[in-house]
Amino acid sequence: MQNGINGNVGINNRTLTGGKISNESFITLCMLGVLIVLFGLACLFVPNFYYLQNIINLITNSWFIIVLGIGVTFLLVTGNFDMSVGGIIAMSGVISVYFSQTAGTSRSVLDNGLGLPYGVAIALALIAALIIGAINAFFVTKLKVASIIVTLGTMSVARGIAQVLTTGSQRNVNMPDVFGVFGNITVISSIKLAVFIMVALVIAAIIVEKNTIFGRRTYLIGANSQAARLSGVKVERHVTILYLVSSLLAGLVGILLASEYISGNSNRGMGLEFDALVLVLLGGTSIAGGFGSVSGSVIGALILSVVTSSATGLLLRPEWQYLLKGAIVFIAIMAQRFALDRRKI
Amino acid sequence: MNKNISKQTRQPGTNSWKAIIKGSYVFILLFLVIVILSVVKMDTGSIFSRGHFLNWDGSIVNLLRNSVPIITISGGFTLLIMSGYIDLSVGSTLSLSAVIYAIMLLNGFGFFPALILTLIFGAVLGFINGLLVVRLRITPVIATLITLSLYKGVARLLVAPGVRAIESGEGKIMPDWINNYGRKELFNLDLPAAFFVAIAVIIILVILQRKTVLGKYSVAIGGNRLAAELSGINVNKIVWMLYIIVGVLCALAAIARASYMSLGDPAAGEGMELDVIIAVLLGGTVFAGGEGSVTKSVAGALIIMCITSGLMTVLPPYWQLLLKGAVLVLAVTLNSLLVKEKAVV
Repeated sequence: MQNGINGNVGINNRTLTGGKISNESFITLCMLGVLIVLFGLACLFVPNFYYLQNIINLITNSWFIIVLGIGVTFLLVTGNFDMSVGGIIAMSGVISVYFSQTAGTSRSVLDNGLGLPYGVAIALALIAALIIGAINAFFVTKLKVASIIVTLGTMSVARGIAQVLTTGSQRNVNMPDVFGVFGNITVISSIKLAVFIMVALVIAAIIVEKNTIFGRRTYLIGANSQAARLSGVKVERHVTILYLVSSLLAGLVGILLASEYISGNSNRGMGLEFDALVLVLLGGTSIAGGFGSVSGSVIGALILSVVTSSATGLLLRPEWQYLLKGAIVFIAIMAQRFALDRRKI
Repeated sequence: MNKNISKQTRQPGTNSWKAIIKGSYVFILLFLVIVILSVVKMDTGSIFSRGHFLNWDGSIVNLLRNSVPIITISGGFTLLIMSGYIDLSVGSTLSLSAVIYAIMLLNGFGFFPALILTLIFGAVLGFINGLLVVRLRITPVIATLITLSLYKGVARLLVAPGVRAIESGEGKIMPDWINNYGRKELFNLDLPAAFFVAIAVIIILVILQRKTVLGKYSVAIGGNRLAAELSGINVNKIVWMLYIIVGVLCALAAIARASYMSLGDPAAGEGMELDVIIAVLLGGTVFAGGEGSVTKSVAGALIIMCITSGLMTVLPPYWQLLLKGAVLVLAVTLNSLLVKEKAVV
């Protein structure tokens, strides 16, 4: 409720007071400050954290989570969850492997695929991802079911398909040679192609968010979907498109990761739906809707990356990640609300 | 109550059949599932041969024993959903409580002190959920996702590195009575004390729902939160209480699980939230709040247990996730087709 009100104020601020930066930019700048402080602390306490190579790794290793974050941000701005992305990553990766493995060469079930060309396999994997997105959209927009319930269900369906196709383990032999190329190509000094795809997608998303009618309508739906409907926005169609885009991005990530590791693993992307939600919330997007930004989510992803990798650098047990993620989301939500409340006065 | 009102406002005679189906479809469904699984012998595909499902010694006792945790939790969860709130942390609360209970037993606590302390601990975890949702006004989904992550992290950190669970070893041995609560037969029925406790919990919750103000208030809050508040209901107190009840029930389920497995597994409750949501959905509870029934949720819990354990005799374990996801999506469809219509009246 509190945040919903702030969301409206964000729109008002931009239109009424031209000189002042919007609440979204304000939060993004705050989180940038937090990122810099955290990075400074990490440099002090974690050995070798300030190395240039480490900084590059921090950014390049979080390419997939940022790509997921784009779709999840737009959906969360309209007030909808997408928890199915982690499952879709596993499913599309496994499907791209299964369809392109050569057929009938070996006795083992896991070594045999359908023998389709790699391009066709990728296309079919993306279509499968889109089907999951369409199911999400159908239940959320037509049957008006709570998005968290539906997407938890489709998460299980998608990961379940991956587990059935791999009998719960992974497929990693008999792929065509071209399979491993896409995810392992490096462009400039060992930076992967996937990272550039991520940068391109982020730029495109920011342009859509700030400079298009589509982007503005997304905020309108989140702030007040009834008002949006009455002023002629096709809310159902809009949310459907967002779900399709989110699942398509997740499918793309799944294919790229499968190509990078040259395997289709049914456990890949486990818990990534929570990570994506974490970084989007860190970026200041509010579930009450109508408030948030892609650039904030990118900062959120970097904060998450700094925190998790410094936990690893400090030799903390991997189980600490659950505690850290929970704690930083909680702190971020409370701090952002506090900052916005103070700003209003 | 709510049901009677909506029946009266409807025109008489036009949809009595529909009303009957809507009122009792979950019991019809449970009956159908049991009949089908009993008559059809799954692994050979033959019909009307003696199925291995309906026989008291083997599968039914096992089924009832395995469904103790979900039956215990689903009743309280229903009350929470009825008032329009959700707790996604039930699985983690269960895991953490199971670990705590096992640690207490290892360190020489008696059964009743450990039981009471674990229940209090569960109440504290529920209290924290309530604190985030009611006092700090974080959206229920996000708040309980945060605590899901936190409780999971703590549960895993309490188990020493390299060990799977809290169990006997290195000088400390689990007491030999640990199994009594979860396994030892009572009244010559092959069923353990935990089962009868779960039944008692359900009876208490049915009375709470139908005969006390708590049930009426939670329906009122779910139906219209503002109206409930304006008519003098202390909404915050009721919701907080419901979160604590769910926490206590999770701890009770955790004791049953830990006693049955004679160890404290930090993954004991993984995925429990999905099972409970399916049970409540099948029971016809409206997820937006305002309507629901504890008994129907228990029937829903038995359906999901029947389906998973019935089909697991035929399908390999890696089918389980896909099955659960598919059942959830079907349950969502059924729920919105049969229940949402009523809400419009």
